[in-house]
Amino acid sequence: MRLAGKRALVTGGRQGIGRGIVEAFVREGAAVTTCGRGTRPTDLGKEVIWYTLDVTDAAAVAELAFTTDGTDILVNNAGVQVEKTVADSTDADWKAVIGTNCRGVFNLCRAYIPRMPEGGSIINIGSISGHVADPSMALYNASKAFVHGLTRSIAVDHGPRIRCNAICPGWIETGMLDAGFDLAGDPDAARKDALTRHAMRRFGKPEDIASMALWLASDEAGFATGQLFTVDGGMTAASPLNPGLF
Amino acid sequence: MMLKGKTALVTGGRGGIGRAIVSRFLREGARVYAADLSPEGSLAKHNEDGSIFITLDVTQEADAVAAMQKVGAESGQLDILVNAAGIEIEKTIEETTLEEWNLSFAVNVTGTFLTSKHALPLMRKAAQGTTASIINFGSYDGFIADPGLAAYCATKGAVHALTRAMACDHGPEGIRVNAICPGYVDTPMLQSFFSGDGSGGGGKSIDQLQQAVRDVHPMRTYGTPDDIANLVNWLASDEARYASGQLWVLDGGLSAQVQQMKL
Repeated sequence: MRLAGKRALVTGGRQGIGRGIVEAFVREGAAVTTCGRGTRPTDLGKEVIWYTLDVTDAAAVAELAFTTDGTDILVNNAGVQVEKTVADSTDADWKAVIGTNCRGVFNLCRAYIPRMPEGGSIINIGSISGHVADPSMALYNASKAFVHGLTRSIAVDHGPRIRCNAICPGWIETGMLDAGFDLAGDPDAARKDALTRHAMRRFGKPEDIASMALWLASDEAGFATGQLFTVDGGMTAASPLNPGLF
Repeated sequence: MMLKGKTALVTGGRGGIGRAIVSRFLREGARVYAADLSPEGSLAKHNEDGSIFITLDVTQEADAVAAMQKVGAESGQLDILVNAAGIEIEKTIEETTLEEWNLSFAVNVTGTFLTSKHALPLMRKAAQGTTASIINFGSYDGFIADPGLAAYCATKGAVHALTRAMACDHGPEGIRVNAICPGYVDTPMLQSFFSGDGSGGGGKSIDQLQQAVRDVHPMRTYGTPDDIANLVNWLASDEARYASGQLWVLDGGLSAQVQQMKL
């Protein structure tokens, strides 16, 4: 029970990576609160506290921080993606992506940092897309680079009281990944090609990311701060040249 | 017990960080081979800790072959290899002799190459149906330079590139390869750095210098070997089964900030 006695707040716990983190934290003994824009998911464990929350709403986030009286562990996982280039992106796209992925993370950190105790840990979900560009994901890629920069700033400004790191997932089997493949002319061929670009020859699973989040949340990571930890099955360690060339 | 049933070999297993890794692996239920030049390594005392000692000079191919033969005969496979053996020459390139340069590369780079090369057959066996894990020792000095450590910085940059290449080549066989990049960690190597000429001490006592260095860290301390062993243990475990080809900086936030100007 690596998180026994700790309280954790995970944003975006309805599905995907967020849900994987919620489940891992519960298993390790944390008291877990999660949130999302809709009503409580019916399959969420009853030991988990659910709040309906839009992270873009600063007043609602501040109220939640007051109601919950802070947390030991904050995981900023809530995120959205819009599959468009800069030229095609609308003001509404900007509002959606930047609102959730940037403003949302800022809102949560601003509201919770003053209410986090010594030894608190913030884990932001960045992305490999904040380092290297996914095509037709302009605002998403940029929003994740924002998360990376904010992560370092929080580590520098609020250490040693609070540690702050980001996890940069690669391609994880979630609804977001399916949406990415749907863009391809031949989604099956695209999936096959993508697999050969991963040294581990598979895509990630939410629990692969959850296990890193668990380590970063635990006291074992006491010297880890200000870093961007990539878990991507080896994809970005290799050159993006088409593997078929060799 | 995150490593129950696994067999591990740690080079530099009697040094500052290596010793902490060996004892952590033992606590997690692994069968551990501690390989080093001598049973004492860089520390004065030799703990009888339950590990199996192997005399290994990582620069000698025959030593690597013999070590893997022993592991193979006794354990049949190798789940975890930690290439923690390393040396640090505290000099600029002008002061560094060719012999010192070559020795730096022989231990830090060639040692990682030779040990990994001869471990691969045993690691392939271990990876059947799961993954095996190689953990190399890079350094935050492979990204940014400390003064008077030229050969060391260069070898660590080489280890980083080698790590990505090994991950790319052997991932499809189920072998994960990562590097840990420590910042300032309290080891005999660090104490030697502080007492040497390369630290830019400016008339400060070693204690004053150490405190000044701690104060530059966002965590206001430097790391312990156990801090590093914590991440090595995670990377060695099945929890890290999708983590490969990465350079894991563990430095108390030191390199997340810009150069600390005295403004």
